[in-house]
Amino acid sequence: MSKINSNDLDPRDDAIEHGKCMVSRREFLVYSGVSAATTVVAVSLFPGIANASPIDARITNYPRKKIAKLSQLKNNQVFDFNYPDNGPNSQAMLVKADIECGGGVGKQKDVVAFSYMCTHQGGPLMGSYKVTGEHRTVGQCPLHLSTFDIRRHGIIVSGQAYESLPQVLLEVDGDDIYAVGIMGLLFGRTNNLMLG
Amino acid sequence: MTTNFYIPEDHAPLPPKSAEIITTACDYCIVGCGYNVYRWPLEVANGGDKAHQNAFGVDFPTYALQAWVAPSQHNVIMHEGKPHNIVIVPDKGNKHVNKNGDSSMRGGLLAQKPYNPKTGTRDRLTQPLMRIGGQLQPVPWDFALDVAAEVGSYVRKTHGDNAYGVKTFSYQYIENTYAVTKYALRHINTANFSFHDTPSDVTSTPGFRDAGFDNFAPSYDDWANADTLMVCGTDPYETKTVLFTQFMMPAILGGMKTVILNPRETAGIAFMKKHGGLHLDVNPGSDNLVLGAILKVIMKNDWQDKEWIDKWVNNKWESDSGFGQGTRNTPWQWRTTWGKFQTKGFEDYKKWVFAQKEYEPEYAAKVAGIDVDKIYKAAEMMAKPKADGSRVKTSIAIEKGFYWSNNTGNTNAISSLATLVGAGGRPGQMVGRLGGHQRGGLGGGKLPRNKSPEKVPGRRRRALDTDRWTYSGHTRFAHVIGTTWIQSMAGSQGLQKKFWELVTTNPHQVYSYDKQEIIDTLKKRADSGGMVVINQDIYLRDPIGAKFADIVFPAAGWGEDNFIRANGERRLRLYQKFNDAPGQAKPDWWIISQLAKRMGFDGFDWKNSNDVAEEASRFSRGSRKDFHMVKIAAHKEGKTLHEKLKEFGTDGIQGPVFYNYDTNKLVGTKRLHDTELLNDKVRLKEMGLENGPKGANVLGKKLTHFNSQTGKINLQKHPWSLFSDFYEWLTPKDDELWFSNGRINEIWQSGFDDVERRAYTIQRWPENWVEINPEDAKKRGIESGDQVMMYSDRVAAFKDTILGVHGDDFQFSSLMKNGHIELSKGAVTAVAMVTPCVKKGVLYANMMDMRQPSNSLTARVVDNISGNYNFKMGVASIRKLGESKYKSEFRSFSFAPRNIT
Repeated sequence: MSKINSNDLDPRDDAIEHGKCMVSRREFLVYSGVSAATTVVAVSLFPGIANASPIDARITNYPRKKIAKLSQLKNNQVFDFNYPDNGPNSQAMLVKADIECGGGVGKQKDVVAFSYMCTHQGGPLMGSYKVTGEHRTVGQCPLHLSTFDIRRHGIIVSGQAYESLPQVLLEVDGDDIYAVGIMGLLFGRTNNLMLG
Repeated sequence: MTTNFYIPEDHAPLPPKSAEIITTACDYCIVGCGYNVYRWPLEVANGGDKAHQNAFGVDFPTYALQAWVAPSQHNVIMHEGKPHNIVIVPDKGNKHVNKNGDSSMRGGLLAQKPYNPKTGTRDRLTQPLMRIGGQLQPVPWDFALDVAAEVGSYVRKTHGDNAYGVKTFSYQYIENTYAVTKYALRHINTANFSFHDTPSDVTSTPGFRDAGFDNFAPSYDDWANADTLMVCGTDPYETKTVLFTQFMMPAILGGMKTVILNPRETAGIAFMKKHGGLHLDVNPGSDNLVLGAILKVIMKNDWQDKEWIDKWVNNKWESDSGFGQGTRNTPWQWRTTWGKFQTKGFEDYKKWVFAQKEYEPEYAAKVAGIDVDKIYKAAEMMAKPKADGSRVKTSIAIEKGFYWSNNTGNTNAISSLATLVGAGGRPGQMVGRLGGHQRGGLGGGKLPRNKSPEKVPGRRRRALDTDRWTYSGHTRFAHVIGTTWIQSMAGSQGLQKKFWELVTTNPHQVYSYDKQEIIDTLKKRADSGGMVVINQDIYLRDPIGAKFADIVFPAAGWGEDNFIRANGERRLRLYQKFNDAPGQAKPDWWIISQLAKRMGFDGFDWKNSNDVAEEASRFSRGSRKDFHMVKIAAHKEGKTLHEKLKEFGTDGIQGPVFYNYDTNKLVGTKRLHDTELLNDKVRLKEMGLENGPKGANVLGKKLTHFNSQTGKINLQKHPWSLFSDFYEWLTPKDDELWFSNGRINEIWQSGFDDVERRAYTIQRWPENWVEINPEDAKKRGIESGDQVMMYSDRVAAFKDTILGVHGDDFQFSSLMKNGHIELSKGAVTAVAMVTPCVKKGVLYANMMDMRQPSNSLTARVVDNISGNYNFKMGVASIRKLGESKYKSEFRSFSFAPRNIT
């Protein structure tokens, strides 16, 4: 299990605690053409496209979990957290990539979060975040060498995975960053929220 | 077609305990990973998360390397007319190929392949089509077949057998290739026949064949058991992915060293370099010089494997011996009557290499654009004896980047290098191809080469070059089976133009409802010098089907019938049917049998694909994928051939297959040219070969010896001069760059159906792309994401069918002088990817995007000796046209370099 590496966060901000006492499974529009009615996430995920070709909104019940504070983030320093629960394969990373990323939040739209589990065979991607010029990647996976482009929604750069790296959808409220959903299925799960 | 709006799902169903499990193997690359298809009717509940509730018997969530179903691995198909769920996942129980259920991205997405009109597969061909009034319109099978057979027969009778051209896949299952070759070669008996990747019916690796090496002799274990592995013209992770991750990669982590010849550095090469690998990033087409230099260094240092050479290399008398008919009739002499390759043994060969000035390391390194130290280092890694005097175990693997850039010169040189380092016939010391498509070819007839009007200088006729023959207007009826023909051949834009002239601009076009009038019109087309085109495929291809075909037959493929095929270590499996073919689509063997019967040929009364396989098995005898004994065993047990092979599941059995009459067991063959097998009494006993072959078993020479006239290796010369005039002419001038092309991991041997139809794949690679080195890009003001034009005014095309008389008549400079080469323009657009992965001075584009084909810029000039194209050789200028949408959006493409480790 990945360790929450912030000292400043109140332990009650842990996903389950948070879910229990604060927002408790709010309904969330993961994809929506109605950007005004929802959050920054839906707008920045598919700029231009959602409006051009409306996609059916999918309503899911992801917990809203406070992850970090914008003011705490340092460029290209990875921040670990768990989402949507603390169960198996919930390890995820958040990073301020210092360059605009698809689905990025914050002033520069450069804060993104992804699952740590490779979508090929579940290899752990911890410690593999890399900056190569304008590129930001995760990988090579130690098992079979897949790499993912985290500026482009976790699309595969090279390798064997047959799903993009699941992107954790973020929302900003003041200085706080919240995880509010996942695009893609976490390795090993049949449903991201299968653990309830 | 799918859109590129890839929206990942966040849930996937598990198969229930009651799901049927149907074994198969991947339809795509040579490695042929084993897959299980789980099938259950829609009305049956999906499996649950607990081990006792699902077909995998594991609790979910699972951990790394355990079973998992990605959303893209589920689909709904029709089985016996009823909708069923399927989940297609790599077989976790596989022990020999994708061990423990490894998979590539291509295979991992197999569930997206079957027909489901809700998905990108909705444009599968489902009924026969005929072009009437300029449009392809549905017609019944009988109507389409009657017209095709009548016109085909007429063309043969009126214009000769060679007017009936057959261009076909060579690999799409033995039942189909047997039927196609039986029809085309035995019955139509046309010399106008070629496979999907070459204009003539010739070997892909002339040097291997002449030395005596089988392309696929090694077992996959051999690629993991060397001390030094040399890989030429490929990154075995980009292509052959699972062979790399399951065999080579663990060996490299365990200390196996690698030497790589490739102009480009991608993920696998970066990994190999990180673990002590040596990368020789040669300019395209310069491999022969680098190998010659390595050979020179080895022999100057006396590092060659003397014992091996003494025992296994032909001496003067042996290299001259034939099959009792004298030198002239040994197959390898057919190409070499002018003494350019033959040696009198090792000393003679050494003298020749030492005399070649261009094999001086300094010179070779300069032309290849590499550091000369790498040549010395490579020689050391491959051949320098260890401190204790023992030899380094070296294996050599090659693939298309290498053998499609100086086909004869490179394959001859690598065969000699292999022989000098003792590779070829021992565990961990092998030489072979890594492979491209799977091995599904089975000859039901023999090319009537003597009917070919083309002749090389000297004595022999050469297999007819079907592109040049067609270009000259001699093909009046083109029967195209499962290949694009045009984009997959070199200088493709010139070919397309010729097709347009012969087919579309001909005045005899069908505008009638009447069968006889349609037939008469098409006959008139052929008589007037035009061409009639019929096409069998699973999707409508543009242009061969969409623009040119008069009749299109819908084919059924993987998972829609039972088929046999082998992988890159000759491993035979049954690919089972698990869903209904869409609409009226039929397997190619059935389509061929219907045409054959209408043309009056006998022997095409097959009821099912097993009938075809059982007839075909005897033609496999003695070949690398000999499966005849599987039928013998099957019949002894009262089973069919397909039923028996099915018992071997996803692991299959390696050809040639032997039947032990004492134990009643079928036993496979680990490697060919296994020079140690005759000393292995235990293994021989297991194979039932202690006292030679028994019963119907055939013990071919290649099992324990080499495929040459003596069973020993021909050590051959590999003169640069056969290629150097072309190389010099082609070398980039002014602002030109080398133009090469090749594959990428995400699309490899899968481009024929998955790229455009899988949202995940098309979002990664939405259109043609080209890699350009940062220095070259900067000079031209090109950035990643720019739309670029690649173009050339000098796409060379060899256009005539000629009779060679003098020794150098087929040499490029002679062809040029004698007016057989036509220079034309070619232009292709692409999205630029600026990356240090590709060598300075070299462009590297997608091997084939059917919409923007790279072959527009490759030279349509065949290898002087073999008749193959050197597809990896071209030159192009490149300029920015503007910015593509991918430059500013994050939805698709990735411009991140492929060599990040």
